[in-house]
Amino acid sequence: MAASLRSPGWYRAALWTAIGFVFAFALVVGIRAAADFGVVVQWDSIITVALVTMPIFFLYGIGCFDTWLYWISGRPTKPDDHSDHGAHSWKDYFKVNTDHKVIGIQYIVTTFFFFMIGGLFAMIFRAELLQPGMQFIDAQTFNGLFSAHAALMIFVFMVPVFAGIANYVLPLMLGAPDMAFPRLNALSFWFLPCAGIMFLASFLAPGGAFATGWTAYAPLSDQAPLGQTFFSMGVQFAGASSIATAINFLVTIITMRAPGMTFWRMPLLGWANFATSLLVVLATPFIAGSQFMILFDRALGMNFFDAAQGGDTVMYQHVFWFYSHPAVYIMVLPGFGIISEIISANARKPVFGYRMMAFSLLAIVVLGFAVWAHHMFVAPMQNWIRIPMMFTTMLIAVPTGVKIFSWLGTMWRGVIHLRTPMIWALGFMTMFVLGGISGVMLAVVPFDIAVSDTYFVVAHFHYVLFGGSLFTIFAGIYHWFPKMTGRMYNETLGKWHFWTTFIAFNATFAPQHLVGLEGMPRRVADYAEQFAAWNMFISISSFVLGASMLIFIYNMVYSWRSGPIAPANPWNAHTLEWQVSSPPPIFNFDDVPTVVGHPYEYGVPGARHGIFKEPEPVVAAVAGDSSTTSTDEGEPAPA
Amino acid sequence: MEAASAAHAEHHGHMPVANASAKINREYFGMVLFIVSEIMLFASFFTAYFFIRVVQGEPWMPEGQELPVYVAMANSAILFSSSATMHWALEGLKHNNRKAFKTGLVLTLILGSTFLGVQISEYVHLGFLPKDSAQASVFFSLTGIHGAHVAVGLIVLATVTRRAFKGHYGPEKDKHWGVEIPGLYWHFVDVMWVFVFTSLYLL
Ligand SMILES: [Cu+2]
Repeated sequence: MAASLRSPGWYRAALWTAIGFVFAFALVVGIRAAADFGVVVQWDSIITVALVTMPIFFLYGIGCFDTWLYWISGRPTKPDDHSDHGAHSWKDYFKVNTDHKVIGIQYIVTTFFFFMIGGLFAMIFRAELLQPGMQFIDAQTFNGLFSAHAALMIFVFMVPVFAGIANYVLPLMLGAPDMAFPRLNALSFWFLPCAGIMFLASFLAPGGAFATGWTAYAPLSDQAPLGQTFFSMGVQFAGASSIATAINFLVTIITMRAPGMTFWRMPLLGWANFATSLLVVLATPFIAGSQFMILFDRALGMNFFDAAQGGDTVMYQHVFWFYSHPAVYIMVLPGFGIISEIISANARKPVFGYRMMAFSLLAIVVLGFAVWAHHMFVAPMQNWIRIPMMFTTMLIAVPTGVKIFSWLGTMWRGVIHLRTPMIWALGFMTMFVLGGISGVMLAVVPFDIAVSDTYFVVAHFHYVLFGGSLFTIFAGIYHWFPKMTGRMYNETLGKWHFWTTFIAFNATFAPQHLVGLEGMPRRVADYAEQFAAWNMFISISSFVLGASMLIFIYNMVYSWRSGPIAPANPWNAHTLEWQVSSPPPIFNFDDVPTVVGHPYEYGVPGARHGIFKEPEPVVAAVAGDSSTTSTDEGEPAPA
Repeated sequence: MEAASAAHAEHHGHMPVANASAKINREYFGMVLFIVSEIMLFASFFTAYFFIRVVQGEPWMPEGQELPVYVAMANSAILFSSSATMHWALEGLKHNNRKAFKTGLVLTLILGSTFLGVQISEYVHLGFLPKDSAQASVFFSLTGIHGAHVAVGLIVLATVTRRAFKGHYGPEKDKHWGVEIPGLYWHFVDVMWVFVFTSLYLL
């Protein structure tokens, strides 16, 4: 026991989390006693400080800092024996691990855990909305539930799950043995459970969970009960995680590509994560800033948002949306990359307009910083900002349209294999176009003013984030499931999952356009009688939507345990990750392969992307195209 | 941490060596990106400053909340000279002049700590608190966050100094990153002070 309290792990983590609490308690009580403040034991302050110390002490306990502290102690550096590489049993996934493949799976499983809870919250408040009037939760709980739903989905699911998929796939795809900074990578992951648990723990705070939506507008969030502090602090941890990961991706993508892999030979998933990481590094500090201001106002009595003291509440919205608009691209650009990989491999055609795909990603990065105030058309900001923002917002549909046409062009006259990932990709395209169209509608100032804060907005962003981003996530998970687990998922269940989700998703969110246009306000626990019929339909659909996720979970768990063994390259794809075994060897490659051509030359005779030193690890780099040898859907073609 | 992972890269065991697809040092590049995100963090607080002072047109600073410009000017000179000593230390290391290397580091530490000390004493003697006005909130936040960066820089440089006295680092190309990278961070902290000082005290 004593030894396990000294070595990294859960016992030491528990001990240090407790020490973190005691430390916060002693610090606050000590300062208040010394400074002669009236009340010495002030729980709001103690918990605020504990929300900083407990996670950091936990991270120390679990072992995120050990090597760095050893170095800081001034002793000679130890050679890294890579003993923490790879996972040999499920227990290894609960330890600090520096292997990008382990971290990728840790990310995906953890984020899906929070996804399920966030979805459950949605179903609880949809149950309340089944009928007009108040049934079984009060308005404050309702506000807490929809706020936590959004916070979980955005900060600890949508943003990090893409980091998880890219973590697993990207180093393999680029021909790198690992990420550039493996220990920072591990730390990035362990920040996430800290953030997610903080969001959830806010329900235990006096006054209930944070109830100001995920936007936490000031001055409401300045005055809200203690639960709000849990939100602001959780966002800091999630933000630190995403900045650290973005730096890691950028350095990996720029400095660790295989020989011969120029930027124009890099798979589009690499480009997509390059663009996303730029957005994260530049934009995420702004949400950190906005939440610091809220925290300073709340904890130190500062007056950023108190108009009587010269504060400016509209400034909060500017700072917040300067991150949170780019955040929607952070939540969808990696998905664009995933879709390009899947459509090209499943249509057996080179990506149409590869360079335009890369340029349009960069155009979205640039334009994404010039549209934030379209969220503020009803805020008391300067009127002249509206028209330029409307213009730039509409303009951003151009690079997005480039992508849609590239995918269509890629499929044109292709030999399309309708496997589960491909079906999700097609579902994504249709749903994302619908979300994009309502997005252009919302860019129009008068229309936006008319439907502001109605269910039309809710419908729009669920088409973009659920029908858009989440569909790409499912596509990506199915596509790389054989690579990650070494087993095939079940095609039939995958298709059942798609069709139930697709139908239930549309049944849930399409009618929200209508009730929104009729003026039903969002974020309100009760509604007028006239919306009753549609809301009952929406609520019941949302339960079906929730249930459809069980098919996915069952398929994943069952297939991971006992699905058929996956070949190295079930999709006959050309990118490097498919040229190694499934799952890949512990250090990815025995020797880094050399890249000699484009990644998507499907159907081009004799085309090669990467070549491996003899003896070849698993398969020869795909020579020619074997799409004609692919058998029926569901039956992976022999590699 | 940068030097540690750089040192570890030498011991790859049976791990294949990653191809270097760009000439830049990975740890150095990582620090550059980190600094970019730090600049954006400061930018978010400068946005608050801009909205309160320019858009809202609040007086800077409010009546009775004057800032000691000359003290801050002297203190700025101290911080800027620490950038020079840091540069001197690094040049000393690169030319294998260990005496200059160590003296430069110690001087940087002394100057940096002096800056931080003066800043804290300024806080105590200002006569107003962060809660007294939105301007005061912006002032304490920007200088406070900058001060926190100085403190982090000092901790990192103290570690570097300690290792320097133990004989670590050398003029070889792969042995000076452990000094160059914290040095880059230190220069960033100093350059950021130019903007903080100018916008809060001078303008
Ligand atoms: Cu937006």
